[in-house]
Amino acid sequence: MKTSNNDTEKDIANNIKTVSYTSDADGNQKPVSGSYWQPVNVVNHQAWREIEKQIENSKEKIRAGRVSCLHYYMTANQMSVGLLASYTGQSSLLVRLHLLPFIFTRLRRETLQIYADLFKIEVEDLIEGILKPPLYQQGENGKVQGNRNID
Amino acid sequence: MINFPHTQSAHCESGVAANLMGEKNIPMTEAMAFGLGAGLFFGYFPFIRINGLPLVTYRAAAGQILKRIGQINGVKITEKRFRRPDQAMTALDQAIENGIPVGLQTGVFWLPYFPRALRFHFNAHNLVVYGKEGDEYLISDPVFPTPVRCHAKDLARARFASGALAPKGKMYYVAEVPEKIERRPLIIGGIRSVCKMMLGSPFPLIGIRGIRFMANRLAKWPERLGKERADLHLGHVVRMQEEIGTGGGGFRFMYSAFLQESGKELDEPALLESASALTASGDRWRQFAVMAARICKDRPRQGDSYDVMADMIRECASFEEKVFEELNRWLKQ
Repeated sequence: MKTSNNDTEKDIANNIKTVSYTSDADGNQKPVSGSYWQPVNVVNHQAWREIEKQIENSKEKIRAGRVSCLHYYMTANQMSVGLLASYTGQSSLLVRLHLLPFIFTRLRRETLQIYADLFKIEVEDLIEGILKPPLYQQGENGKVQGNRNID
Repeated sequence: MINFPHTQSAHCESGVAANLMGEKNIPMTEAMAFGLGAGLFFGYFPFIRINGLPLVTYRAAAGQILKRIGQINGVKITEKRFRRPDQAMTALDQAIENGIPVGLQTGVFWLPYFPRALRFHFNAHNLVVYGKEGDEYLISDPVFPTPVRCHAKDLARARFASGALAPKGKMYYVAEVPEKIERRPLIIGGIRSVCKMMLGSPFPLIGIRGIRFMANRLAKWPERLGKERADLHLGHVVRMQEEIGTGGGGFRFMYSAFLQESGKELDEPALLESASALTASGDRWRQFAVMAARICKDRPRQGDSYDVMADMIRECASFEEKVFEELNRWLKQ
C-alpha cells in the first residue's frame, strides 16, 4: 500500500523501527523500515486500555477484600489461572484457592516464594500486599521505568 | 564469535529462516522464505480464545515455514526440545561454542528487550542466538533493526514459557545445506500448498471460506456483543492483521513480494499479475483496518459501520479467491 505515515501519535512500540512491505512506484513490494503504522497503534492502545481496566478492577476487588493480592499480580501480568498454574507447577484449583484472601494469608513462605520468583518481587510484598508493577514495567534491575506512553 | 548476517525482516519465522540460510551461503530474501515455507493462510477460530477473543490468523501455524524449508532436498535442520532449562541452556552454549548460530522459539512476554507494549503472552517468537558475552547472549532478533542482548536468566524463562504453543526449549540449526538449491520446484510446491489451504479446505473456517465466515460474524458483532465488546473483537482482528511481524496487510504484501520475486526469477508473467492482484487485496485489508481503527477510537466517519467493514472483508475474499484460482490454473500448466 502506498502510504507515507506522518502521523505523530505516540508510538506504542517505543518508536522501534519495524519493517513492513510497501510497493514502490513500479508496484514492486519491498521491505521498508519505518515506525508503526498508525491504525495498529490505535488498536494496540485499545488492547492496553482493556488490560489497565482489568488491573483497576482487580485492585478494586483487593480493596474490598474479595481477592488476595495475588490476583493483582496475575492480572497485571496478563495471566489466567491456568497459565499461572502451569508457570508455578501447581494445579489450577490450588491457584484458585490462593486467590482467596483467607487462604492466601495462611500460605507458607515457600509457596509465596514461588510466586515472588515468578513475578520478580519479594515475599514481603506478597505478605504485606504491596502492589508492585508487572514484569513488563520493571527495568533490568527491577526498577520501575517511568512514563508509560500507553494511553 | 560467529559473524552472523543480521537482516531485519517483518516476520520472525521467515526472517530467521532467511538469515540462517544466508549464513550458510544460500542467500534468500525473507519473502522468498515465507513463500517457500507456504506461510500465507487464513483461519478464524472462534472456539479458540486469546484473552477472551477469537483466534484470527493470517498465516500458517507457527513452525510451518521452518518445517518446509527443512524438507528441501539436501537441507537438514536439526531440532531439539528439552525437559529442563539447564539442559537447554547448556546445549545452546555448546552449539554457540562450536560456531553454530542457533534458532530458538521463545515467549515474547519474557524478553526484556522487547518494547513493553508488545509483551504479550505469545510463545512462538523466533530468534537466532549467535554469541555469548558473560551472562548475556547476543541475539539476532529479525524484527529488530540491530542485534540485541538478553540476560541468560531471561532467555531461559523465555525458552520455557508456558501456555499455548509452549516452546519447551525448542532450538534448531541448519546442519546441512546442498551446494545449490533449484528453486523452481520449491516455488511451485509452496504455491500449491497455499492454494490448497485457501481454496480447497472442506472446513468452513479456513481459507477463503474462513474470510467470508468471519465477515458474516463481524457484521453481527454489535448486536450480539454490544458496542464495547464488538469494538474489542474488531481491534483484535486488526491487531492480528497488522501487528509487528505481518509486514502489513495480514502478510498479503509479503506474499505478493514473494510472487513478484518468483515471477521475475522464473520469467513467469502470470505470477507477476497474481502479485498485483494480491497487493490489491492487501490494500483492501488495510482500508478495512483504517475504518476499524476509527471505530475503535470512537471517531467514526459517516458511512463507517460494521456492515460496511464486513463487505470490505468479503471483497478481500473475492479478490483472493480470484488470485488463488489464477495461481491454481498456472500450477496446472
